[in-house]
Amino acid sequence: MATEVLWWIFAAAIVGTSAGVVFSRSVIHSAIFLILSLGGVGAMYVFLTVEFLALVQFLIYGGAVTVLILLALMLTRVDASGKPERVNGTQAPWALIVGGVLGALLVIVALKTTWPGNLSDKPAQIDLNLISQRLFVDFGAPFVIASVLLLVALVGAIILARQEDGD
Amino acid sequence: MVPLENYLVLSAIIFSLGVYGVLARRNAVLVLMSVELMLNAVSLNFIAFAAYLDPNKVTGAIFAVFVITVAAAEVGLALAIVIRLFRNRATSNVDEAATMKW
Repeated sequence: MATEVLWWIFAAAIVGTSAGVVFSRSVIHSAIFLILSLGGVGAMYVFLTVEFLALVQFLIYGGAVTVLILLALMLTRVDASGKPERVNGTQAPWALIVGGVLGALLVIVALKTTWPGNLSDKPAQIDLNLISQRLFVDFGAPFVIASVLLLVALVGAIILARQEDGD
Repeated sequence: MVPLENYLVLSAIIFSLGVYGVLARRNAVLVLMSVELMLNAVSLNFIAFAAYLDPNKVTGAIFAVFVITVAAAEVGLALAIVIRLFRNRATSNVDEAATMKW
């Protein structure tokens, strides 16, 4: 019972902070809301008994990704006057329609579909040994390829962002 | 306990908020943040399915690991592009960088 109350609190916090990311007028406020939203999703992973992924979420998203995003915001500030600039394009009402229709569709599909298995059951305690077995043995080749992808992306990012002579 | 549908509805809401952000925002970094929201909704969906429907193999959790990896690579690359764009055009708004060729 206490778990369900906590779940609803976290769900409301995630929806609220996610709405803050996309509706906030200030870019920095959006970034702060993003940190809270990602942290809330990490808490959801704890509810799903996947504590390892919750830790990964906090470390990679809460630590690395948001720092990168804040750094990019700092480097690309235009106005020093501090007056609020226009953050939405002229197409924003259409985007609202598209997002609302898509959200309604997804919610209806999620509620109408009969999923196989016992849905209201407590999620099984997911063993870390099982995750590592699946990740390093069964998905070993994709794991190595993912590391190559990270390396290539980092080299590409460095080449793109490098200050060239005569630039 | 919380049934599976709650997670699905929650992730659907986060995903459609992210879609709205991607379509409506002007600043490229804000578009990137909305993409992160969408990726998170997808990971949440994968892990919920793994915990409720596939607890003996947890394929969804493995996919979530790969989603996080690709998201990290994507953020690094996209921010390099944004910084490059800002240096060349003195703007980071996507609607001001609409020319395909100089």
